[in-house]
Amino acid sequence: MTNVRRGPRQLMNGLRALPLMCFAAAGYGDMRQLDDTALSRIQGQSGITLEMDLNMAADSLSYYDDGQAVRLEGFKVGSSESPGQGALHRTRIDIGADASLNLEYLVEDRRIEFSDIRLAGAPGLSMGGVFFDHSLEGMLTIRQGGAVGGNGYTFDTAYTMTGGRLGYRTNGNAVFLDDITMSVEALGVTLDVVGNTLELVSPMVKGNWSVGAIRFSDNPVYHGASSGPGGVPLASYGALESSFELSSRTGITAGGRQGQGLRIDHETTIHTASFLYVDDGNALALRDITGNYRIHDLRLDVDEDWEGRAAVALTLGKLDGQVNIGAVELGSGGLSFGSVNLSFVLEDHVFNGRGYTNALYLQGGGHPDAGPQGLRLATEWSLRLADLSYTEDGNRVIISGLQSWGRGDVTVNVTRDEVRNGTRFYDGLRVGFDGLKAGYRINGLRVGSDDAPLQGGTELLLALGVYPAYEFELDGHVTLGAGGASGDGLTINSDIYIRDGKAAVIAAPYDEGNGEIPQKGLWLTEMTYEGHVRNMTVDVTEEGLVMETGEAWSDMDVGNVRVGTSTDGASFGRLKLQSFEQGSSMVISPGGAGNVCVGGTGSSSSSCSDSGGSWEARGEEGVTIAMKKILARAEGPDKRNAVLWETNRVVDGQGKAINGTGTQLLINDIHTSDGGDFNGDGIDDNTYGIRTDLAVDIYQTKVTKKDSGPDSRGVVGSRGDEKIMDPNAPQGYRYVSEPGQAELVNRPLGFAVKAETRFKELSINNIDLIHRNGGAQTAVFGAKLQNFDIRANLTATPIP
Amino acid sequence: MSRGTFRFSLASLVCFGLQALPVSVLAEMAPLGDDALSDVSGQGGIYLSGDISINEVGGPVENSYFGRCEEQDKKCGARFAYRLKEDGGWMVLDEIRGKFSFEGLTLRVRSIDSGFGGDGEVFDRDVIELGLPDTVRFSDVQFKLAASSTARPTDPGFQQTDIFAIEMQGDVVMQGNLLVFPDGNP
Repeated sequence: MTNVRRGPRQLMNGLRALPLMCFAAAGYGDMRQLDDTALSRIQGQSGITLEMDLNMAADSLSYYDDGQAVRLEGFKVGSSESPGQGALHRTRIDIGADASLNLEYLVEDRRIEFSDIRLAGAPGLSMGGVFFDHSLEGMLTIRQGGAVGGNGYTFDTAYTMTGGRLGYRTNGNAVFLDDITMSVEALGVTLDVVGNTLELVSPMVKGNWSVGAIRFSDNPVYHGASSGPGGVPLASYGALESSFELSSRTGITAGGRQGQGLRIDHETTIHTASFLYVDDGNALALRDITGNYRIHDLRLDVDEDWEGRAAVALTLGKLDGQVNIGAVELGSGGLSFGSVNLSFVLEDHVFNGRGYTNALYLQGGGHPDAGPQGLRLATEWSLRLADLSYTEDGNRVIISGLQSWGRGDVTVNVTRDEVRNGTRFYDGLRVGFDGLKAGYRINGLRVGSDDAPLQGGTELLLALGVYPAYEFELDGHVTLGAGGASGDGLTINSDIYIRDGKAAVIAAPYDEGNGEIPQKGLWLTEMTYEGHVRNMTVDVTEEGLVMETGEAWSDMDVGNVRVGTSTDGASFGRLKLQSFEQGSSMVISPGGAGNVCVGGTGSSSSSCSDSGGSWEARGEEGVTIAMKKILARAEGPDKRNAVLWETNRVVDGQGKAINGTGTQLLINDIHTSDGGDFNGDGIDDNTYGIRTDLAVDIYQTKVTKKDSGPDSRGVVGSRGDEKIMDPNAPQGYRYVSEPGQAELVNRPLGFAVKAETRFKELSINNIDLIHRNGGAQTAVFGAKLQNFDIRANLTATPIP
Repeated sequence: MSRGTFRFSLASLVCFGLQALPVSVLAEMAPLGDDALSDVSGQGGIYLSGDISINEVGGPVENSYFGRCEEQDKKCGARFAYRLKEDGGWMVLDEIRGKFSFEGLTLRVRSIDSGFGGDGEVFDRDVIELGLPDTVRFSDVQFKLAASSTARPTDPGFQQTDIFAIEMQGDVVMQGNLLVFPDGNP
């Protein structure tokens, strides 16, 4: 492994010898003379049976690329159940009548482990360690002749893995997949040399796998075990299950992006697949998955990143593909949100005048305060184009022209609940962000089909907490802990810091078909954001996906709220929003509003019509969200719910307004309450909060023309005419004065929202007017809203 | 969390923009037909229709003052109280109820650099355009204006004097566009 052979023939020769090398390497670890008793265990009726207990160790395995090395240190192979002992390997070798080599193998309780992955150019830092436990039973047949000629090989293989564990360790803490089982069958796999490329083709790979639990351990004494002190099972994030049928083609060529290295080209077709996340018996299921993707010119090098840091470099030429998820199911009722389709192209592109590529530089270290072990990913990405569509009950909306770009460091550590080197860490897998400059934008919505006209309406995504366009510089972390509100699940702690943010609240397209143009809209610019979440649990339950937040507070300071472009749009001034919540929760469940009487009352079509309403059967799919937001009373200037608007600021030498130098309006300490102290603890109860139930469907909506004459696309109609979709019309629609039943079914699609918001009491402590010299003057000494129940039936339709 | 704060800010911005709207611009502006928008870029938006009701059957509070609407001796509407003086009394909008229906409220950002009898060329800036629905229907919209000694009607010493009551029924015709844009020193 210390030298990489360059030519494909040499690579081929190496691969021919690979099975033998594996057995040879295995044999080196424990080779000894066999006595008669041991010899009797070799059953040679129709071949040879080899059996051994393998226990081996190596201080370091190194891979060199252009003189730079990556090392696997503390490499061990042995028994996973009896540390220090060997793992049983039994292989039966037979030569078939067609000169094929047939191997049947059994491996029991094997652990393959290395304690550190280090780069020679980064002394003192490690990417952390990995361990892999498994028992394996299967067969492998190798015969002469590949897909393109007699010089290649054809493989048939099938195996079952049981008792698997795959873990990642840093600084004594581990996250691992526990109780893995996997069965795979791949027949007719061919290996050939095509030109200067080694080509591996798998016409059909079928299999399934499951992970019994994803566990977290903060106790190195119980390394690699499913249970901790007292035999109590370690906390679990939940379980996974999947099945798949796919075919693939992989090409491997010598040569990295620079000098030595490896080039990989790959394509996979997913014929069918499913994926389930299971939490205490309740599943989030992605079913009927199909798709394909192609990796073009992926290079592997040991290199340096853009800051000259030693790294294992993965650089990508292009990745494109599409994935369709036929049904997203959640909860006990087997209800589905609908289906999702994503198409994407990742390749080099210029965003905002700067070129971006797709590259990942793996380095050791992680967060500098977490210890010497961890993973640092210097990352750059360029999503040139993606379309994401959502279909429910046959109605489809496409988020079109999604682009994203970014560059910066992502760190990964497994951490425990402690303050270490001055930094607060939490139990779990910590994903950190270090100077990550990134952005994304959406061009618009398309309704119905991929070639439908581009429309506006991306601001509807705000209902999901997503800005239509966003650029930012990100620091902070999200730590995913094991265990939910009860049993399996997730516990999230996070601290997020954003600088130089530019977020669109309303955004016009960035490309209307004639090339890129500055994206106009309503922008929040010169934004800083600080958000903290403590003990937010995420569980899949019978009702749906349940998120309960212990405490969350944030501070978003928008330097300018601009209309126009994000750089030179006119400004409304500064806006600062603070939020502070305790005990808020959200439940997301499949299924929308069902049958709705819009504009009337009634539980049937006839009674609804009698009341003057319109009966709408919105189907079984859709999204329902139940939220409870408990706005806590202020606990100082950093933890409160408040809104501040500032204008008339002094500008600096560059003409930039200086925050805090103008006139301010402050709405201070907005909080909810149950309306009294009912438990007698001396403070008002605050358990009800603001409760909102939302049911969202994609449904046909009534859109009428507001003025007579041609519209913005030149389609003529009279005021009050209805817009009816018509694929035969030049613009895809026409206006109809009195649509019949056949035309009503072709009304345009939009988002239908049935909502109810209620709260017992919402208070504002004070509203102040603040002058930069005169100080604060209170204008309103308290406001109180009580007993509100607001219900709405709204349809929001994108329009061109 | 962020959704709630956004709604608040957007509502605030609309109000702010209205306050900042120059009188001269308001006086000169005239409706711009759909065809005139055909050469305006970046005009995608959303079209909103629907109905909103407040306390149609009552609110979530059930105590000696509030209750469901079928309870004759209870108030089932919402209540809003505020005071402008420390330790002073409270102005109250009480028993707020009703339903509003509308069709065709549009929202978009738009550039105005032409039209409006020549004023558009001078104006030459981007605006948030709220396309008003032709008709807003008010059904059983009602509230009372009152003065109260306490913010909560269940607080000790509560006394309230109802000043007048409002009831609204019928259609309000709202045509044209409401343009919101920044002005002055930010």
